[in-house]
Amino acid sequence: MRVELSGNLAEISEKLGLALSEGEMRVIKDYFDKRGRSPTDIELHALGQAWSEHACYKSSKIHLKKYIDIKAPQTILLWEDAGVVEFDSEHAYVVALESHNHPSAIEPYGGAATGIGGILRDVLCMGSQPVALIDPLFFGPLDYDRQLPKGTNHPRFLFEGVVAGIRDYGNRVGIPTVSGMVFFHEGYIGNCLVNVGCVGIARKDEIIRSRAGAVGDAFILVGGKTGRDGMKGVTFASQELTEESEDISRSAVQVADPITKEPLIHACLEVNRARLISGMKDLGGGGLSCVVGEMALAAGFGARIDIENVHLKETNMQPWEIWVSESQERMMLTAPKENVKRILEIFALWDVPARVIGEVVSGNVLQIFFKGELIYEMEIPFVSGGPVYERPYVKKKEGGGIFDFEEPKDYTETLCNLLNSPNIGNKESVIRVYDHEVRGSTIVKPLVGKVGLTSHGDASVVAPLEHSWRGLALTCAVNPSLCALDPFWGAASAVDEICRNIVSVGGIPHSLADCLNFGNPEKEDRMGDFVEAVRGLNHVAAALTLPFVTGNVSFYNESPMGFVPPTPTLLGVGIVEDVRKCVTADFKHEGNAIYIVGETKEELAGSEYFKSRGLGGGNVPRVNVDVLRASIAALNEATREGLIASCHDVSEGGIACCIAEMCMGGDIGAAISLTPMRHDIFLFSESNTRWVVETTHERQFEERMRTHGVNFIKAGSVGGDTISFGDTISLPLRKARNAWGEALG
Amino acid sequence: MHGVKHLVEVCILRMEGTNNEYEVFNAFRDCGAFPHLVHLNELSRRQNLFEYKILIIPGGFSAGDYVRAGAIFASRIKATLWKELTKFIDEGYPVGGICNGFQVLVELGLLPGNENRVQACLATNDSNRFECRPVFLAMEKTNCVFTRKVTKALSLIPVAHAEGKFLAEKGIVEKMEDNRQIVFRYSDEGGTLAGYPWNPNGSPGNIAGVCNPVGNVFGMMPHPERAFHPFLAPDWTRCERSGDGRAIIESVVEYARGL
Repeated sequence: MRVELSGNLAEISEKLGLALSEGEMRVIKDYFDKRGRSPTDIELHALGQAWSEHACYKSSKIHLKKYIDIKAPQTILLWEDAGVVEFDSEHAYVVALESHNHPSAIEPYGGAATGIGGILRDVLCMGSQPVALIDPLFFGPLDYDRQLPKGTNHPRFLFEGVVAGIRDYGNRVGIPTVSGMVFFHEGYIGNCLVNVGCVGIARKDEIIRSRAGAVGDAFILVGGKTGRDGMKGVTFASQELTEESEDISRSAVQVADPITKEPLIHACLEVNRARLISGMKDLGGGGLSCVVGEMALAAGFGARIDIENVHLKETNMQPWEIWVSESQERMMLTAPKENVKRILEIFALWDVPARVIGEVVSGNVLQIFFKGELIYEMEIPFVSGGPVYERPYVKKKEGGGIFDFEEPKDYTETLCNLLNSPNIGNKESVIRVYDHEVRGSTIVKPLVGKVGLTSHGDASVVAPLEHSWRGLALTCAVNPSLCALDPFWGAASAVDEICRNIVSVGGIPHSLADCLNFGNPEKEDRMGDFVEAVRGLNHVAAALTLPFVTGNVSFYNESPMGFVPPTPTLLGVGIVEDVRKCVTADFKHEGNAIYIVGETKEELAGSEYFKSRGLGGGNVPRVNVDVLRASIAALNEATREGLIASCHDVSEGGIACCIAEMCMGGDIGAAISLTPMRHDIFLFSESNTRWVVETTHERQFEERMRTHGVNFIKAGSVGGDTISFGDTISLPLRKARNAWGEALG
Repeated sequence: MHGVKHLVEVCILRMEGTNNEYEVFNAFRDCGAFPHLVHLNELSRRQNLFEYKILIIPGGFSAGDYVRAGAIFASRIKATLWKELTKFIDEGYPVGGICNGFQVLVELGLLPGNENRVQACLATNDSNRFECRPVFLAMEKTNCVFTRKVTKALSLIPVAHAEGKFLAEKGIVEKMEDNRQIVFRYSDEGGTLAGYPWNPNGSPGNIAGVCNPVGNVFGMMPHPERAFHPFLAPDWTRCERSGDGRAIIESVVEYARGL
């Protein structure tokens, strides 16, 4: 169907639901005017998908190029749908991280499940076996009891739906969910965030490119059928949520089917191992409209598609609907024609549909035919190019300064309240509904300590290869409360926390993936937050030569309730040379010495302690990159030498909560001496670059720290059944466990 | 090297949704057997079960488990493989089911297998949710061919399931007790039968693993392949562990070698 581009172009865009601006529509009109014809509906819809913020990064591109592209000594083999990084001489690990925010805000179960499905395909399409899932989640307070605007779901409904979606999908496909975080903040009431990460492992010689092989190769669409679910998901993800979103955009949420996915994984890996295919890419945002063009463009070719060959869930679908549908569990392969028969046979054995839908041609034009009629003809570079904007922005005003406040009267009660708060409290009820042990390679689990009495660990460790003790330490981090006050130092703190978590278990920080969740970039303050945050990420990561190997930007996370706190979520990967030397956070033996590594400062702004007392002001934690670099080296060395019995990073809730967790996991108390510093600063400040370490080798440990010029204090010793800090806090272990255990209600 | 006669070929049966075959495969291979991943479609087409000495149904969510866990896998076996499978069992070859595989064997009526019909089921956990956690298993004295080399009174092996509560028709459990068909029971770290979380699903009598009266068909909810070496234990950084699941795999491989 032809669409006449005359009159009010903005109106046409709105009528067709393209979400393109008037300026963008004008560029399209010029393109077709030059060709002396009007566009067809399928061409316009394809452009609407390709030029959406979600697909082409038009607001973020220039900043990402400047700040996120970090030169690093690590051998990075590919940056495509996922980052591919050297693991050992023969293998590479594959990392991907994405947001699935808007679908999850409307349909939490399906939105989260399809988020997992999509991220698995990103890892799979590099020819790698997924080995771990990581899920950072952000919700409004579970006990929120005020009126919610129309169209906004209650945080508890969203939380439970999302966790169930991840559980049912991740468990069914048999990939362990080894790490994650759940963070609660009022800023997420109108727009929760669901970020999903996946890590895979591949032989280097089996890595396959996300591009077409050669002219004449067949395009083979494999996996689930195409239907009207997931229509225009990327357009939906590039707009703010409104009270009508639920009604209007429910069809943008895809339907998950893990039991198609599981054999799809097997079959795709099998045809790749048999070297039958020349390219592979997953169908994610934009569906066919993105995958075909991108595969052809990356290889410098064009494509010809016969769209009636696509296998459908329902009849009477318009060609443009088929083209932009984001139905799940689909992958696109290219293969030499002579291999097609064998490929189709392998898929048939797995009962997975597979159909040839077109072929690779020379040139740079994509043509689509529907029952022999040409309905689409555009140069791929025009479609994939997309606009780039340098949006105006303003920097957030510096807040803070010293604030005058009283010390708490009862420190034991203060600690107990912090342990009972949702952001610090026990997440076991979430962690244990995810299978974190399937594949039998999870060496350090997300919950550590005495069987039956575990506590939170730092990073999880998997040994992804058979007969090798080399491992991957996996973790995620961001503290949105800090980012809301200061996006630069908040983002910098996230990199610091990733390093702390990886180093705690004995890993060497190796690479990062970023998922940048922000509000509407067309508003200057939100755009300012974004630019400050990527600068903050760069400040620490560049100094450590820690590369961002893959990433995703999610804008328009706003609703009638306002915009989300700036949330630059990070997934961190560390290399563990020998997993048998890993360290966990639970205290081990009565009488061992406890050290605090790093410097504690008055950095209480955004802390859980301040939030619990309703206080503002203070300083946001900063990062000294030289200290961080030296601390990583010192602790890595001490772990390698077997000097560390347990180690835990200091984060939300400060030293007091860190030590309480180590006590609960080890089911043993600790006695800590206080310093001359004001007690609440010492106990609850959230300064970066700090760890609590337990050791039996005091002299050697101190020596290692001194060699690297790292600050430390000997703070106390392990023992008894009470968590005590001088005469100020005396909290029986059992009481701590009860408070901590009941935090999520 | 063993002669061809002593090669232990293992059929690890899978269908869509089976997802623990990777670690089960590795475990059998590392115990000196020759595992093969075989799709149910393939096995039923070729009807060649007797080329193998052991049949294992691994864990996962066969066909999604959208109806009762294991029910669809069981009905497909019943439709395509039943005669050969019962003959295989009658001739003394070992058949094992882990987690979803255990559910399949129960749905087939092969466990507890006192009569030729379905007598039990694995019901939804008392907690009403999926539970991924380590459990201690106290071993009973039985004829089961899967536990002959298990020497420890207590094994530390993880579970990961939503439906693991073993419920049987009236009188069946008593009969199983008399026949010594209850192989493992959930216990606390001291070996005492205890409630949640030590018993992760609320199984009456803390039943975790059972065998048929002869002892060659065996099913358990916990995953021995996930406790195959010491560094898979949940607390190996605290104390010496030994990978308690390995002895179960070794037992059946050694038994099959003698067949």
